[in-house]
Amino acid sequence: MSDAVDHVVVIGAGVAPAMAALAIARAYSGNGVSVTWLVTAEEKPADHALAASPDIRAFHRLLGISERELVAHAAATLRLGEQFVGWNGDGTAFLHAYGDAGTPFASLPFVQHWTRARAGGLRVPLEEFCLAAIAARQGRVRLTRGEPAVDHGYHLDARGYAALLRRHCETMGVRIIETDDVSAEIDGRHVTGMVTDRGERIAVDLVVDTDGAVIDLVDPDGAVAPPRLCDRAIHASGPPLSPLPLYARTLAHPCGYAVLTPLRSRTDVMFAYDRRHMTDAEARDALPAAAGIRIDRIDAPHAPSRRVRHRPWVGNCVAIGAAAGLPAPIDAAPLLGLQLAVAQLVLTWPIARDQSVEAGIYNDEIGGQRARIDDFRAVHARLNTRPEPFWSAAREQPVSAPLQAKIDLFAARGKFAHGNYEVHVEDSWALCMAGHGLVPRSSDPQVLRVAEQALMVEFQRQLRAVATAVQSMDTHEAALTAIAARTE
Amino acid sequence: MAEQQRQILIVGGGTAGWMCAAACAAKLDPRHHLVRLIESDEIGTVGVGEATLPQMKDFNDFLGLDEVEFMKATQATFKLGIEFVDWGRVGDRYIHPFGTFGRPIGGADFFAYWSRGQAEGVAGSLFDYCFPIVAAQQNRFMRPNGDPADVRNAFAYAYHLDATLYARFLRHWSEARGIERVEGRIVDVTRSSTDGSIASVTLASGEVLSADLFVDCSGFRSLLLGQTLGVPLEDWSHWLPCDRAVAVPSERAAGPLLPYTRATRRSAGWQWRIGLQHRTGNGYVYASSHISDDEAAAALVGSLDGEPLAYPRVLRFTAGKRRAAWAGNVVGIGLAGGFLEPLESTSIYLVQMAVMHMLTLLPDGPHIDPALVAEFNRVMDVEYDRIRDFLILHYLANQPDSAMWQRVVDTPPPDSLADKIARFRHRGHVTDYRDGLFGPPSWQAVFVGQGIMPGGHDRLADAMPADRLRERLDGVAAAIRAGVASAPSHADFVLADCPAPPL
Repeated sequence: MSDAVDHVVVIGAGVAPAMAALAIARAYSGNGVSVTWLVTAEEKPADHALAASPDIRAFHRLLGISERELVAHAAATLRLGEQFVGWNGDGTAFLHAYGDAGTPFASLPFVQHWTRARAGGLRVPLEEFCLAAIAARQGRVRLTRGEPAVDHGYHLDARGYAALLRRHCETMGVRIIETDDVSAEIDGRHVTGMVTDRGERIAVDLVVDTDGAVIDLVDPDGAVAPPRLCDRAIHASGPPLSPLPLYARTLAHPCGYAVLTPLRSRTDVMFAYDRRHMTDAEARDALPAAAGIRIDRIDAPHAPSRRVRHRPWVGNCVAIGAAAGLPAPIDAAPLLGLQLAVAQLVLTWPIARDQSVEAGIYNDEIGGQRARIDDFRAVHARLNTRPEPFWSAAREQPVSAPLQAKIDLFAARGKFAHGNYEVHVEDSWALCMAGHGLVPRSSDPQVLRVAEQALMVEFQRQLRAVATAVQSMDTHEAALTAIAARTE
Repeated sequence: MAEQQRQILIVGGGTAGWMCAAACAAKLDPRHHLVRLIESDEIGTVGVGEATLPQMKDFNDFLGLDEVEFMKATQATFKLGIEFVDWGRVGDRYIHPFGTFGRPIGGADFFAYWSRGQAEGVAGSLFDYCFPIVAAQQNRFMRPNGDPADVRNAFAYAYHLDATLYARFLRHWSEARGIERVEGRIVDVTRSSTDGSIASVTLASGEVLSADLFVDCSGFRSLLLGQTLGVPLEDWSHWLPCDRAVAVPSERAAGPLLPYTRATRRSAGWQWRIGLQHRTGNGYVYASSHISDDEAAAALVGSLDGEPLAYPRVLRFTAGKRRAAWAGNVVGIGLAGGFLEPLESTSIYLVQMAVMHMLTLLPDGPHIDPALVAEFNRVMDVEYDRIRDFLILHYLANQPDSAMWQRVVDTPPPDSLADKIARFRHRGHVTDYRDGLFGPPSWQAVFVGQGIMPGGHDRLADAMPADRLRERLDGVAAAIRAGVASAPSHADFVLADCPAPPL
């Protein structure tokens, strides 16, 4: 094919361009695709810590990244979920864990039986039936596949992770050029070449822009800035926690929230707030108490970009990562969004110079998935029950029609309004909505065929099974040591 | 729990009504739900939905029916797919299978390897790489053998059955499990003066039956949903112009028992052929603006491969769906909720989905939570819309050879379908959506079968060396041929497995 897409240029710094360049090189360098990564100046402040959902493990296998390398080079800890503390205004907490919310029984989802029992007076939260949540709370994890399985993701130091990806890019023959500045040659909506600060011209069939400078030229009107809960963020760092938790914590503060990400080397803190409710100085002062740990280092406040592109692929330029718009850093959303985008790009690799069909497929898929990721963030804001003005404003933010339908249906029946492009499984939604205090008003009438006595016996059996399974698992430290000792 | 018993009244027997009643009998606690069904022996049922999809086995399993008993009672045969004859161009034929194409042979989808193999001249017909298609072509059948690594497991099967016998079978089954059948014809419907919901129905005998929830299974009449509540039909006849069908059973033909449904394109529509154990079901679905009833009946009878067993019967319909399948305290199931022609055997599937969604969303008190209604209508809309687009593809991708087909191909498709066609033409892309019917193999079969070919393939498929590609493709086709050779004929399988007694 004379018009094959063989010359790809990736632009930007940090994790996003490294992941894109590596994935493309792994998939296509054997087919004559050359990858050039133009490393632009890193925007301040850079990535700090990244949470990865269990989905990343299959993706890492495609990238050739081992778990041992993550522990050795990215200060990785294992992640079974994320805990939300204080979002209900009463100091209580719940875990969004990566696992089943109870075991289906009598061919019906466990949530239906739980809903019925709640109406009958049961007080036990849904989370208590979730093996992954209990394992996370007790600091236990199982690395080997086996029943019952607990699926883990990671917490990663972003700089270490980016450096690891970059080394793999080098091994795969990605050409890496450091450049302070790049200029693009553009014909309509088609980038034909990139020129580095030293004047080298690189021919281009496809541009992957994580920096945003090129997509801004190709599609100047494509970015929107929807309202966000928080317009400011401060990054900080403290000593590592001991024992190392298996989950991040998202702690509500009267004017914002703090995300604590446990790394092996340190504890990463991100404090998000809104200036309508709190000044930068107040936020700096409030951060240590909001995080609840000793703080060793605190960065200057900054304003995260609100810009989002609903059509990230235009012409022959694909915006990913920050250039496409980063979701709020809860529930592992930024890395999940990045992974989905890179995987979709590899799958939808254009087969000819005219990439309009590929752009349409990609924008449908990634736009749809992005909307579901945003819904999963918005469900926390909508369902919080705190009294402060920041939190009532959060509650009143408009939500999408699909999210409203999900909340309404769960509240009515404990069911999941399953749409296309879902990125979180049904039980993740159930754990979060139930965790926020939403107990369904009614259950599937098919549960009534189970005798109440039999149901109580089953509940007790499940609680015991969870406790027994957790006891047989390893501690987090032992699991990390075992990973570090692997010899692959 | 000291809650009151909820009353459900199913209006109309037939396949939809009795499937609904059976599911209620299987899954609801009679202490909490009183379920009754009204039907009239005076009103005939349509009973043309004799070809089904593999999901029907899930429904029967959900009820707990014994497969062999069910097949004997309904004169059923097995179905591996649908053969489309004269679609695309006259003289062409292809099978839309209940199974996948090929086996995983590398990092890309099998279809991409086949597409590349075609371009490089090393691949055979797509249909040679599909176990149920090759088995169907040889009139053989076996159940999937349960070994995920074996080509003889890469398919599912459905049934051809006598829908009237299925309704009868479910009636006995349901009545034995406490469903009360009320014989009678509805002459009046009373609505609540406060909210307009249905309060009761009155039978010709004068008996008045009230309920909390009414399930409208009255067929095309849509007695409660359409006629009483006035929920309008969303009319899709500009895309799907056929508005009548003439049906006639015929004697079982002397030849082999076909393990597939046949759909033959005709000048003003298309004709079905469904082989059962005791007879063959036939029908001509047509556009009344392009052919008269008598001409259609004559064309149908003239093409039978066995003696007709009855006079041809004409059915009238409009393609489309009710704007809301659940409105107030009425749930429309089956033809009362919408109609799509049986080109892809979706009628019983739509009943099944509606019944299962309704069960799980049943109101638990006198107040009907709008979120339950909204969810039911949302999921049923998706089901109808997905099938609609797939049917329109069959209509669009033809060389027009009559006035009706010219009109069809001149009508622009819905945008959702236009995108699908453009994406397939460009690179063989099919979106693997999660909700609603028809996965990528179904779309691939119809596109390729009706002459819409991919212009390129996923580049992931280029990684394999050319000689290895040929070897892998040949290996898959050979494994399928060998697997099919190990299967008995469909007729022998039925005789050994589930022979039905003569009626």
